[in-house]
Amino acid sequence: MSTEHSRRSFFDRFGTGLFGAGLASLLSRDLFGASIAESPHAERSRGPKVYDLEPKLPHFEPKAESVIHLFMNGGPSQMDLFDPKDALTRHHGKPYFDKIAGEVENPKDAGALMRSPFEFRRRGECGMWVSDVMPHLATKVDEIALVQSLQGVNVTHEPSLYKIQTGRQLPGFPSMGSWVVYGLGSESQDLPGYVVLDDPLGLPINGVENWQAGFLSPVYQGTRFRSSGAPVLNLRPEVEQPPEIVSRERDLIARLQRIHQKARPGFAQLDARISSYELAARMQLSASDALDISRESRKTRELYGLDDKVTESYGRRCLIARRLVERGVRFVQIFINAQIWDNHSDLDGGLRSACARTDKPIAGLLSDLRQRGLLDSTLVVWGGEFGRLPIAQLRNGKLQGAGRDHNKNAAVSWFAGAGIKSGVVHGRTDELGFSAVEGHVSVQDWHATILHLLGLDHEMLHFERDGLEEKLTHVFDTRVVDEILA
Amino acid sequence: MRARILISCLMVMLAGSARARADAPTNPEVTQHDVLPILLLRCTVCHGTRKQEAGLDLRTRASMLRGGKSGPAIVPGKPDESLVVQRVLREEMPPRRRLVEVSVKTMEPGELATLEKWIELGAPVVDEVGGVGRVTVGTNDEPSGATHWSFRPPSRDIVPPAVNAAHRVRNPIDAFVLRKLEAHGLTLSPEADRRTLIRRLTLDLTGLPPTPEAISAFLHDDRPDAYELLVDGLLASPRYGERQGRHWLDVAGYSDSEGKTNQDKLRHENWRYRDYVIRAHNDDKPFDRFLFEQIAGDELAKYEPGKTVDRRAYDNLVATAFLRQGPDGTWAGITAFVPDRLEVISDAIDVFGRGVLGLTLKCARCHDHKFDPVSQGDFYSLSAIFKGAYDEHDWLKPQKPDKGYIGERFLEVVAHASEIPAVSKDGKVRIRALWDRGEPSPTYLLERGNYLRPGRLVEPAVPAVLAAKTRPYRVEVPWPGAKKTGRRLALARWLVDPDHPLTARVAVNRVWMHHFEKGIVTSLGNFGVTGARPTHPELLDWLARSFVESGWRMKALHRLIVTSSTYRQSSALDESVRREDPANRWLGRYPLKRIEAEVVRDSLLFVAGRLADRPFGPPDDVSLRPDGLVTSVAKDELWRRSVYVRQRRTQLPTILEAFDLLPMNPNCLERSTSTVATQALHLLNNAMVQKLSGAFALRIQREAGTDASALVHRAFVRALGRSPTKEELEVTREALDSLIELWLRQNPEEGEPAARLRALENICHALFNSSEFVYVD
Repeated sequence: MSTEHSRRSFFDRFGTGLFGAGLASLLSRDLFGASIAESPHAERSRGPKVYDLEPKLPHFEPKAESVIHLFMNGGPSQMDLFDPKDALTRHHGKPYFDKIAGEVENPKDAGALMRSPFEFRRRGECGMWVSDVMPHLATKVDEIALVQSLQGVNVTHEPSLYKIQTGRQLPGFPSMGSWVVYGLGSESQDLPGYVVLDDPLGLPINGVENWQAGFLSPVYQGTRFRSSGAPVLNLRPEVEQPPEIVSRERDLIARLQRIHQKARPGFAQLDARISSYELAARMQLSASDALDISRESRKTRELYGLDDKVTESYGRRCLIARRLVERGVRFVQIFINAQIWDNHSDLDGGLRSACARTDKPIAGLLSDLRQRGLLDSTLVVWGGEFGRLPIAQLRNGKLQGAGRDHNKNAAVSWFAGAGIKSGVVHGRTDELGFSAVEGHVSVQDWHATILHLLGLDHEMLHFERDGLEEKLTHVFDTRVVDEILA
Repeated sequence: MRARILISCLMVMLAGSARARADAPTNPEVTQHDVLPILLLRCTVCHGTRKQEAGLDLRTRASMLRGGKSGPAIVPGKPDESLVVQRVLREEMPPRRRLVEVSVKTMEPGELATLEKWIELGAPVVDEVGGVGRVTVGTNDEPSGATHWSFRPPSRDIVPPAVNAAHRVRNPIDAFVLRKLEAHGLTLSPEADRRTLIRRLTLDLTGLPPTPEAISAFLHDDRPDAYELLVDGLLASPRYGERQGRHWLDVAGYSDSEGKTNQDKLRHENWRYRDYVIRAHNDDKPFDRFLFEQIAGDELAKYEPGKTVDRRAYDNLVATAFLRQGPDGTWAGITAFVPDRLEVISDAIDVFGRGVLGLTLKCARCHDHKFDPVSQGDFYSLSAIFKGAYDEHDWLKPQKPDKGYIGERFLEVVAHASEIPAVSKDGKVRIRALWDRGEPSPTYLLERGNYLRPGRLVEPAVPAVLAAKTRPYRVEVPWPGAKKTGRRLALARWLVDPDHPLTARVAVNRVWMHHFEKGIVTSLGNFGVTGARPTHPELLDWLARSFVESGWRMKALHRLIVTSSTYRQSSALDESVRREDPANRWLGRYPLKRIEAEVVRDSLLFVAGRLADRPFGPPDDVSLRPDGLVTSVAKDELWRRSVYVRQRRTQLPTILEAFDLLPMNPNCLERSTSTVATQALHLLNNAMVQKLSGAFALRIQREAGTDASALVHRAFVRALGRSPTKEELEVTREALDSLIELWLRQNPEEGEPAARLRALENICHALFNSSEFVYVD
């Protein structure tokens, strides 16, 4: 009887206007699964598989507890941001297309070699090169390890996005975040283990597939939090009814469920279903708290650029990301709408605008994590799906307003925070920046390195599927990039 | 009316100059088998079967010597003087600015070296043999490990065992099940009551709950075979095909979009295949015929472009879309390179492997299967079978590209058949088919699955481990003069052999799973060495045998299963069952099942009286709200069954996704069943569910009048298929009364009738949210 009472008051509380204020954690938690948990590392099991978000032991001592992945859709241009090329300036205007024809997505627009429109300077104590278009990050280079030699496998966005998010070039495979929460569970039982903060202006290429769980249980899928308003679909009743009426109906639901369950003792599914209704209501509190940035100081808000229209949106997501890792969320991914780094034309203007939107918030995030001590347990990763070509992509046959086409042979990515050797540059590209020539890092190396920092061995983290041991790094030759580890 | 039919196929051709790469030490260092794969990749799209630009065909030594407008392509012994080498060296060929258009990449340096070497050696050609289906090289040896249970034909002499609880044996299924139960000190649970049975049966067979009228008729039917008559009625319902067809569409991986790219281009006329599947189920088309048409319908159709086709030929062609359901971005040049095409082929083999054979053949794409006796050669031999239609070197795009690329080809066919609807403005009927063109390029094993590392030549063949135990895989031309390889026709014939060790077992196991939640072999798509062992091996074999003997009739199989005592037992969790067999491995009770995504949505619509009875044809559109909510679009306030709603990979209706429908990549043999808060949020807060609750309330009011008890009673029967218990009636009436009062207080100006209706809507909404609505005893 007492249980019923508390349930009733529970619905009384949550049946009111609070509904819709926020979301709670166990949104994606499989409650049936939770009752008979099973380690994903256990031997192959013949019975029904159930999965949960309970914290799990890593394979070895981790350096990082959480990850914030700043995903830069479109393919940021390495030779205009972090990898200055004198040779490109010297050979500006010389033909080069025929040497790299098979690597050019739009051969019809291919122009000659094109120098960077930006000035570069050595920054920080480490003297890392950063172009003038990223003035804020330029002050943080002593916190980061730069990889100049990341290589992709495809010159098209969609397969390249699948590759960087899931390790494969196809849809249907689990994203890195899904693998991480599958392997480690979540520290927070009030928030999802894997949260995606996408841009209210629109989804990235491949849409929600970027954070899918593939063949892993749906409990490991990324949960989208919209950074304002109701963060989850159907969190708020779409047809409003007076609170006391909602509450009376919810009470009836609870009673009917309980009668049904009492007549069928022993079925964990039915307990789970009842819990799912309780959690549906409970989750909004924790989410609304995590999303409520009104209590952040003016100074903090300014640090992230919330006082400026240009940086406000991305800054808000960065700030929420900090609040989420603070609350134990394992994996946070921040997206930006469309492909702001896909500078096929107007390289100068396009890059300036992309940097204007993200540079200050990202530098702010690094400063804030550092001053709160969170950078010791949080790994921050920046990067896109590929790099760009040293030749111009002409606009209507002209260099005026030209951009750069996709390039899978060299891309930049940087790491900061837990377990990272800061101030180092790893890898080298050729004199034109077309391809990595030293310290090659494949996408799977990049994945393995992130897993490694979380205490996961990419060879051990697997999922049995149709007789195959599926892994994030598949069967590819893979190595952890030791050179950037502290 | 004569409808124009367009068949879009991936196809191809490469003349049959297939040769052997023999091991004889006398063979030259480089032969045409080292060179042909390179030319196929880089050149033959413009200088091959379909096109001979500048009059040049680079597929054989003879045609290279003959050359084109500019003279011979090769000068044996003199690579430097050979035009083909010169053009490649000067980076003129393949033409740089047209690479994407034709999905070709430039030659790798090593490839050019191989070509030069071959010419230098005098362009040697080794053992010119072959011809369609007759290539004799690269035979795959029968591997060890062939003794695995599923590679042996189902036993013929299985007799249902004697059991203690003989009085519970309605048919042999019960004998097999009881035998296992009794061996574990258990027995069947008592029979479920009639109300439970009719709900279970109706949901299982038709995917919709029973109507109050059907329930009442069944409860009052005192004929001894009332249950069997009920079963027959349900099997005859057109709803049966929609329900069971959906299961098969999962196996095929049915989708109304191409996937692969963000654009997720629509597959406009794919619904023809969906309709074919539903009709085949309703017509109880024998399963062997059903498979036959889907594997090789184009080779049965005796259809040639330009000729008329009748309904039967139309069906045969439409059926072949079975292996055309995977994600496929090859309609655009930039996503149609050879590796992209190989992915499409590999997905088709995966669907065929796991869905039909119960084998994870795809594992053998890059290396010999790690656990099963399936070699890499087996994989490529199988891909050679599909090559008449799926040839990565002569590809027909699955549909028209957005812009005019060269190389797009569609087959135009005139169909006559007034019953074939044409929906496009040009009056043409487009069929997504596999279409064998009779001239596949040779198939080389790809080392590590890498298309840049072709290995030995392989012949079309079925996996060696099965070949020894089945009728021979023998390729014949389908009909005299047919421009077909006949390879898939031979595969289909081989597949439906009554003694095939896997076909029938895999099929009956899947049907079993849909009734009992788990298969007799729990790994539905893996009957191999790492797959689960059957819990009831004799039962599986007996079912497979009797299925084949019944003429491969699915309805007979369903009937057999659902009329057994095993199916008719209660789902209650008895203490001894819980202790001895918590996972219900031995079936001492019926499983408590959560209904699938489509059944949730369809049941909501059906109970609310808002389900449209408009089967077949183009799918209903979905709308995407800015916040990401996807809903199907209604017509006249009616919605069609979920199977008729557009299945776009990137825009699955939110309610279906919440209840575990995943995008097909490439298919889905078993739905997962999660219990997550998003489901509760959807049923509690979604506007559509609220709207349906309103419709449900109006309906109940119309049917039951104003008496509170009568209303509650009627609502329970409609939603849950039974009357409320005394306690439920009390609780619900109490809620109804207080809700009426609350609404009156809230909106006094609306008056009592409005308040009553609103309160009833709350009750209906609560029933939609009750556990029992989504769980079946």
